[in-house]
Amino acid sequence: MPVSPRAWWHRAFLERRPSLSLGLFRLAVAWTVACHMLPSFVQMGDNYLSTAFKEKNFSFFPMFILRLVEVSPDWVVWAFVGLFCASLAAFAAGYYTQRSTVLMTLACYYFYALNSFHIGTLSFDILLVTLVLLCLTNFHGDFFSLDSVGRGKDSSYKRLRPCFLLRLLQLQLALTFFYTGLNKITAGGNWLTGNPYHVLMNYPAIGVVKDFPARGWLAQQPEVSYWLGLACVAFELLLPVALFVPRIRSAAIAMGIAFMVDLWLTLHVPTIFLFLFPPMLLLFIRPERLVAWIETRQARQAEHGRAMLLYDGQCGFCLESVRRLEVLDLFRWVDPLDFHKQPDVAHLHPSLTPERCRSEMVLLEPNGRISGGFDAFRRMSRHAPILWPLVPLLYVPGVPWMGRRIYAWVAAHRYLLHRSRRCGTNQCALPTAGNGKS
Amino acid sequence: MLRRSILVSCFVAYWLLLFNYESLRAHYLQPLTSRPLPKQALLFPPAGWIMFYQVDPSYGFAEVHGLRSGQSEPIDPHRIFETRNIGYDNIHRNVLVGVLSRSRKPRFCAYLRRKFPEYDGFDVLYGLYPDVVRLPDEVRYQTAYQCR
Repeated sequence: MPVSPRAWWHRAFLERRPSLSLGLFRLAVAWTVACHMLPSFVQMGDNYLSTAFKEKNFSFFPMFILRLVEVSPDWVVWAFVGLFCASLAAFAAGYYTQRSTVLMTLACYYFYALNSFHIGTLSFDILLVTLVLLCLTNFHGDFFSLDSVGRGKDSSYKRLRPCFLLRLLQLQLALTFFYTGLNKITAGGNWLTGNPYHVLMNYPAIGVVKDFPARGWLAQQPEVSYWLGLACVAFELLLPVALFVPRIRSAAIAMGIAFMVDLWLTLHVPTIFLFLFPPMLLLFIRPERLVAWIETRQARQAEHGRAMLLYDGQCGFCLESVRRLEVLDLFRWVDPLDFHKQPDVAHLHPSLTPERCRSEMVLLEPNGRISGGFDAFRRMSRHAPILWPLVPLLYVPGVPWMGRRIYAWVAAHRYLLHRSRRCGTNQCALPTAGNGKS
Repeated sequence: MLRRSILVSCFVAYWLLLFNYESLRAHYLQPLTSRPLPKQALLFPPAGWIMFYQVDPSYGFAEVHGLRSGQSEPIDPHRIFETRNIGYDNIHRNVLVGVLSRSRKPRFCAYLRRKFPEYDGFDVLYGLYPDVVRLPDEVRYQTAYQCR
């Protein structure tokens, strides 16, 4: 059935689709930006301060910006380092996502204008194009972010957004591949007329080619090198097409990632190639498939039995915390229950008493294991993907000791930590205060 | 909703036009029109996506020699620019070749003097492998400039 141009355009760019891939992509971008920028801050005297050797990118920046940045005193440079680190951390955590993206991008531009000598590469230009696109919306903060936890909706992983950002990122990757291949065989590129791959294999040791096992052999094989070079060009030209053909998309994604890993293993190319392009390739996986996968895991979890989290349903702070926990608990491992609504908690586990439930949250796992307070949170963090980066920290000696004390203090003052007037004087700490949610 | 769709559509069309224009401008559109075309500032590389598009058998590089008591000794480029990137080595990407232009002499000399106060002066050399395939062991040097 023929599709009208208007319907096609709507489907391509305007259709509302889950934005969770963009949330995951944000993490990859944060990692890439960090890996590219942070090492340059280790040698501030060499790279950015008044003692540095600086190079300007006149073809990228208008002159007035370069002049403006050039007169930065050292304290301004340090201030931008602070701004960059803070905005990068916020961006990675998805905290005020759009604002942090804008600030981080601004800081990247500042350092690029200040000195392009180390950070200015072609791949950095690609990264900047990506960052500018991400500045447009906050869609990448919908999932796996503090913003989503703050919103407190447990369905944030399937939040629907117009798909234009996802599609433009896909097209950016596809077009970059295509034009890279095209430039190699036209426009002065010599991959058809010469044997660049063979030349690269013969580059001196200080050159761009890494010393990988087959390099010596390839350096002696001009014929093999020529055809390998052409295969690279063919791959760059065909991959963009393959990525848009559903039947072969998975293979194209896998081959694209293998190509990037191969590039990184054999050449001294910036790690942007390794850290940004494979996640961009993964953006071609339909987000609906990711949502379906998450829901399958949730269903499987329900079949196998979920852990029970007994909390104080008369405490606003606890209710708010549970609401946020439900956002973190992507695979629905935990089933939160208000212990006030349980006629007999000892029936759930012989060691459970109302007093214990009142003093701390209690986690009862399907295998019968029971834990409370900080230890319950630590157990839950192992099942909440967004908390995985925290898990090792929670087991560092000393952290549990401190965590238990902080938890005990918060639990003792929980009625004072929320805004409910009814509980403002700690009245609802009394077990007789009723069973309804506050 | 309709207004947002129009806005989004306009942006998408603009972005795609711009992306393709900047990808084609330097090597296709300019030769076609025989005149320089404007470049979008602050976005996109100046010559399009040209990763390794042209690889010649000749290979040029820079070398810095420090002078001490009349003796010249090469300085490890990793000591000159000590920034350690993650996963790759910028020195291997020939980043040092950027210092060869004479216009960079004053700033690079000042940088070298700060970095290596133990030397009396520096020679910045341009090295060239004329053909890395046929003459892999032949390197020609010439002095780009001296810092005294």
